[in-house]
Amino acid sequence: MAAFITKRLALTVLVIIVTSIVAFMLVHLSGDPAAAMAGEGATDADIAAVRETYGFNRPLYAQYLDWVAKLLQGDFGRSYYLRMDVGDVLAEHMPITATLGALALGFALLLSVPLGVFAALWPNTMIDRFSLWLAVAGQALPSFLFALGLMYLFGVYLRWLPISGTGSWQNYIMPAIALGYYATPAIMRLTRSGMMDVLQSDHVRTARAYGLSPWRVIIKHSLRHAIIPVVSLAAVQLGFMLGGSIVIETIFSLKGIGYLAWESIQRADIEIIQAILLVIATAYALLTLVADLLNAALDPRIRVS
Amino acid sequence: MANSTNIAPLSPGQLAFRRALRHGGFWTGGLIILVIVLAAIFAPLLTPYDPALQDLTQRYIPPVWSEKGTWDHILGTDNLGRDYFARVLYGTRISLGIGLLTLLISGTIGVSLGIAAGYWGGWPDLVINFLITIRLTLPVVLVALVVVALIGNSLTLLVLVIGLLLWDRFAIVVRSATQQVASREYITSARAIGSSTPRILFREILPNITGPLIVVASIEIAHAILLEAALSFLGLGVQPPQVSWGLMVAEAKSQLMFRPWMIAIPGAALVLLIFAINLVGDTVRDVTTPEGKA
Repeated sequence: MAAFITKRLALTVLVIIVTSIVAFMLVHLSGDPAAAMAGEGATDADIAAVRETYGFNRPLYAQYLDWVAKLLQGDFGRSYYLRMDVGDVLAEHMPITATLGALALGFALLLSVPLGVFAALWPNTMIDRFSLWLAVAGQALPSFLFALGLMYLFGVYLRWLPISGTGSWQNYIMPAIALGYYATPAIMRLTRSGMMDVLQSDHVRTARAYGLSPWRVIIKHSLRHAIIPVVSLAAVQLGFMLGGSIVIETIFSLKGIGYLAWESIQRADIEIIQAILLVIATAYALLTLVADLLNAALDPRIRVS
Repeated sequence: MANSTNIAPLSPGQLAFRRALRHGGFWTGGLIILVIVLAAIFAPLLTPYDPALQDLTQRYIPPVWSEKGTWDHILGTDNLGRDYFARVLYGTRISLGIGLLTLLISGTIGVSLGIAAGYWGGWPDLVINFLITIRLTLPVVLVALVVVALIGNSLTLLVLVIGLLLWDRFAIVVRSATQQVASREYITSARAIGSSTPRILFREILPNITGPLIVVASIEIAHAILLEAALSFLGLGVQPPQVSWGLMVAEAKSQLMFRPWMIAIPGAALVLLIFAINLVGDTVRDVTTPEGKA
């Protein structure tokens, strides 16, 4: 196990280093940052001055190493547009996206785990078909349309929830549903297949033979075994959600990392863009690390190979 | 078997096709796709209107089924008086075009990497697996938005970016399918009779992984179409005067309260197309896997 953990940790570090290079290159090679920062009516002299001030005239590898050296000291750079430290800007927006992610995952689990359990208990019945249909419908519905549909139903028609903003807890409900919905099909299917395996196992048959109440058998003796792979899948799904939050946050004007990314892209605020790319990629790498370690703890075959 | 005199056995491909024809989803999905493809090809014959032509005297006409609707504009007109039916029709061209062109790029990259990793194993497999991990770690929407925004907008760039981002599933599925096929006896015998490596890869392995390949292709076409719609919706995909369903939804977003049909119409077109592609993909998965051979 120790060897597996070491190898997996090394891989994660390597992945984060390579993605940091990709994030940096994407931002610096896609056009001239100095020209974008100087604005539309800028003269060549203005652009040259910006290039000089921000050090864009140095070789790329030197700029990259400089960026990384500062990152390691906790310095994310400075936003030229907001005139603030990128670290402070991120700290301001991060809690909102973290809350949204947690709520979205909570919604996904609350919807998909019970549905998966019921589908496994009564396969090929109405509830099994319904959960399958939910998955098929979800695949065909783009998230921005789903979000607009929710907005129309709960915001315009029923007037239960605010359409946009960040102020209160109510602002999180629709975005969390819109974001979490897309994690439900995968979680539901894994719960269903895991439960079906466990329900046929010897220890569940024994527990039933002892005359334990059906729900006790289902929750304590079956779900407990089926849920660990689900937890690790949920970790990966949370990573996907952080990446997908840009669409949802922009629609609902929820001012988290995704909204900040969209705003910064419009302003060509490259220091913020590269920091967000790195933060989201790192979060995803760490979450998949957690998922892999969980799976390895559960299944010895993964550790050995 | 009804025809017991038929001695020559059917090939797996013919068997799969026969099963597909008995599949309701295949007919439904296939028919919808056929109609949409025909609509894209014959768009200029189906409507007299230019999708980009503005007519400020004809703004916000509701669709024909509402009280103030008119048969002149079946699906109404938008904020600039452009015919909505024409816009939906021409929008099929962007969606299908993006879906197919990006598929060429992502498919080529993913299939090559997947076959290489699955056939050779060893260090090529390690390197390609690492590439897949890196690709999965980068958030698709964000990377696409950054590149399109910083380089500048064009359809070519959009196709390139989406194609270069969506090869991961091809690589993963083709890799594991190749691993399974590569250990079969006919591959060993092909090697034994001295077949060249390209011959083994293209004549022995590739034809035997077409089932999973078609399934992934259907998923990735749908994925590419949805991604284009999302990028256009965020204002960084297809630009006016070109028409895209995502762009139509974006332009209608401010009308959510008073004219929700303006969002519902392009939205329904998008959902219908994706649904049909998924149906056909599901059918192919059903008829090419052993479980579906009933």
